[in-house]
Amino acid sequence: MMKGNRNRKEKQLVRISFSLNGQKVEAEIKSSTILLDLIRDVFSLKGTKGACREGECGSCTVLLNDVPVNSCLFPAINANGKNITTIEGLTKSDGSLDEVQEAIVQNGASQCGFCTSGVALAIKGLKYHYKKLNNSKKINAVLTPNRKDIKKWLEGNLCRCTGYVKIIDAAEKALINE
Amino acid sequence: MTDFEIISPATIKELFIVIKKCGKDNFRFGAGYTDLLNELRKKTEPELKIINLAQVKDSQFTGIKTGIRGLWIGAMTTIQQLVSNQIINREFPVLHQSASSLASTQVRNVATIGGNICTASPSGDVSCALVSLNASCEILRVDGRTRMISIQDFFLGPRKTLLNRDEVLYRIFIPQNKPTSVSVHSGFIKVGTRQSMECSVVSLAFHIQSDKKSKIIKAGLAIGAASPTIRFTESACNFLIDKTLKNISESIKDEFAENVVVYASPISDLRASAWYRKEVLYNISKSVLEVNPS
Repeated sequence: MMKGNRNRKEKQLVRISFSLNGQKVEAEIKSSTILLDLIRDVFSLKGTKGACREGECGSCTVLLNDVPVNSCLFPAINANGKNITTIEGLTKSDGSLDEVQEAIVQNGASQCGFCTSGVALAIKGLKYHYKKLNNSKKINAVLTPNRKDIKKWLEGNLCRCTGYVKIIDAAEKALINE
Repeated sequence: MTDFEIISPATIKELFIVIKKCGKDNFRFGAGYTDLLNELRKKTEPELKIINLAQVKDSQFTGIKTGIRGLWIGAMTTIQQLVSNQIINREFPVLHQSASSLASTQVRNVATIGGNICTASPSGDVSCALVSLNASCEILRVDGRTRMISIQDFFLGPRKTLLNRDEVLYRIFIPQNKPTSVSVHSGFIKVGTRQSMECSVVSLAFHIQSDKKSKIIKAGLAIGAASPTIRFTESACNFLIDKTLKNISESIKDEFAENVVVYASPISDLRASAWYRKEVLYNISKSVLEVNPS
């Protein structure tokens, strides 16, 4: 790969492969590439937003093996072998909305929309979280999050339009519909 | 913005080789990256290498195990793993509370306990809880030797630890509660200007064990954001021994709070003044002893 001294300053590229919205993908990246940039600039999935780029606002949230993370603070190299879900992957293959997206629409939980993909994925992550809890549990009673649990879970998602009430309503709706 | 190169060893053995190879080069460790990437964005460092710990496969390095004398927590254990762990929730509520108060869900899912310790922030939430629990750090050297250091001694100053260049934090050990302890009064108090994503103005971790006669047999108390490093308030802890938690007079509470505040040497910064920090610390210290008789 290296072509003598001229290219010595060129950083070596690393090959990674992972599942992106259910499809196996590969990319050759600089090791310092951030997951958010890989998703937006290489795979052209612009639904994932970058705003604060320091892990405060949550607009860049994606699911990493069903768990919400800030893609702006995640080296793409560590996505190797993992399953990444972005907002584009939430929508079903026939184009219809996921139940979380549906609940957001029904409850008017989106205004300017910039935070919405992150919020939707965070709520989806909460759904997966409780699914896992209920599967691992020995007793039979089904655990569901209350409004306080939902608020706590969504503390990493900032929204400057809605005032959060409708977002939490939507989350409650989406979570009860199990 | 610093440009960097990430090197990803897959085993502890490979990790040692990479560290040796880096030699005198400028390198940092990358664990959860939630702090590191923010720091690197704000400054320019030439020729930086990052040794990526996130792909090292080693179950002791990434998980929680119960030992005979206590709990072993791998340095790469995520904060969310701490929050979800039932033993921690039951035996060491202070650690559970500090972990669940850290940043946000998205950050807790990737941030690690080792990263929280090695950042050596005076306001590190999880670190503060670990100091109150008398935890120790198991440090691995590239020649394979290990050493155990009390977590209090691990912190030398803001962002400074006694970790050498050829060492890596491997596990954290938390000693079991005393066999004669029948109840623990344990928790984490964090004072900040908002509830989420907040860096503490001042914080206090406490873990108080009582025997069947409700007498205090062991107490651990640590304060955060109140001095250059997290402090274990030894004289305040000793002061509590043999007292009964449900039966403490106002004057004893004051004396206790004075014993805590002695350890504080806070600074004034954009979040709070030194005076305010001390006042708050005094009051939350007293509140630790406000236990409703049950």
